[in-house]
Amino acid sequence: MKSLTSNDITPKELFDNRRKFLKLGVASLVANSALVDLLAKENLPMSNLNYVKDTNPNNLTLNSFEQITSYNNFYEFTTSKEGVKGLAHTLKPKPWSIVVDGLVEKPFEMDVEELIKKYPLQERIYRFRCVEGWSMVVPWIGFELNQFIRDAKVLSKAKYIRFETRYDETMFPDQTRGIFATIDYPYVEGLRLDEAMNPLTLLCVGLYGKTLENQNGAPLRLVVPWKYGFKSIKSIAKISFTDVEPLNSWQKENPKEYGFYANVNPKVDHPRWSQKKERVLGKFLKQDTLLFNGYEKEVGYLYKDMDLTRYF
Amino acid sequence: MRVGLFIFLLLPLGYLSAELFYFQSAIDPIKYIYTFTGVAGMVLLFVTTTISLIKRKINLVPYRRQIGLFAFFYAFLHLSNFIVLDAQFDMNFVIKESLDKPFIYLGMSAFFILLFMAVTSVPKWYAQYYSYHKAIYVVLLLVTIHFIMAQKSLSQAQYGYLFVIAIIAFFKLKQRVKF
Repeated sequence: MKSLTSNDITPKELFDNRRKFLKLGVASLVANSALVDLLAKENLPMSNLNYVKDTNPNNLTLNSFEQITSYNNFYEFTTSKEGVKGLAHTLKPKPWSIVVDGLVEKPFEMDVEELIKKYPLQERIYRFRCVEGWSMVVPWIGFELNQFIRDAKVLSKAKYIRFETRYDETMFPDQTRGIFATIDYPYVEGLRLDEAMNPLTLLCVGLYGKTLENQNGAPLRLVVPWKYGFKSIKSIAKISFTDVEPLNSWQKENPKEYGFYANVNPKVDHPRWSQKKERVLGKFLKQDTLLFNGYEKEVGYLYKDMDLTRYF
Repeated sequence: MRVGLFIFLLLPLGYLSAELFYFQSAIDPIKYIYTFTGVAGMVLLFVTTTISLIKRKINLVPYRRQIGLFAFFYAFLHLSNFIVLDAQFDMNFVIKESLDKPFIYLGMSAFFILLFMAVTSVPKWYAQYYSYHKAIYVVLLLVTIHFIMAQKSLSQAQYGYLFVIAIIAFFKLKQRVKF
């Protein structure tokens, strides 16, 4: 498809009023009509973010917006990947503030809207590999986590960063189920600080040019492309800096099967299934899984001399 | 009646084919084929055991073999999915995984028992091998464990299946062991 320039992006004011415009039947006045036709044909959303496009140097083939937003692991709603989309409307991503605390000079709170204004957004086309054996390619929109960490004035004692998904029973049905809940909430993830500082690690606010759909972890999520998908925590409410390795949710749930690192590695199988290959969404045939999901050049140094079988 | 049942038992396959090839709605096709054929086979297996459980009330025993063979058919499709699409005929991978991964060797064992039962279900051999068909209970156990192990964690629907299985198992035990 033809590439979009920033001139093609709908102004935010118009975007916020889009329903009104549609009702008036003058949608074609909002943006140039060829663009509207194109978006409809390709089943793409209306862009509402300003960002620098990724040139896609690795020539990755994108999964469709439809696929990316219809097949989600988000246990706060349901364990059915096809079922999340239909339930996710209870999530209210606006307003949404995040708390930053732990080993920082001064804990603070910040609204996601402010974050989006403060940090210039970039598109990042990344491979995304789920520990269950499926994968996709997603054009995320966000900014490097290291920019945020630099501004947070982290104390030198801090060695890890810990994330928490929001706990709110009015938004997330599985959180109301008590002992019948699928996993313990809130969902927790963490990274070593040097992993978090790597330029690939993204704080993500959108995909396909538009703010995140609820089912993809609106309004703010993490994207760590060389690790299994469960590390890329959704709908973040709290970021803490600590000197102890955070106990992430899946490790807590089943420490024999899931570790802290969760680096994509075709040579280290999940105890119950092979990780050598992956099923790309929408395809009948599998492809080889790459070490660190194909980002070995960028992140290999982080794990030099580490036994990746032991630290899985 | 038999023809009707035959068509009825083919419906799941028709539905699966339509989803895969006509509507192309399966986002993760290999996974979808696994789930669909696995559940179809498992449900039919439990139906066959329920038939002998209720035979005094409704006698469906004449149809049991046909249903059992269809259960085997769906198990065969399930295994074919592993070999053809998942492993892409890499037989080293198939054998290694089958020996390595408990959830796969449980499934494999269940398949070979079913294969034996399907072959010996022809009238000529059935009389001779009838008593070995009790191995169905081993299959049900293996299949249930296989099904649980294939999940990252169990969903409510899956707990539902397990609940129904537990009820059938309870009545089955009650029937066989006189309290």
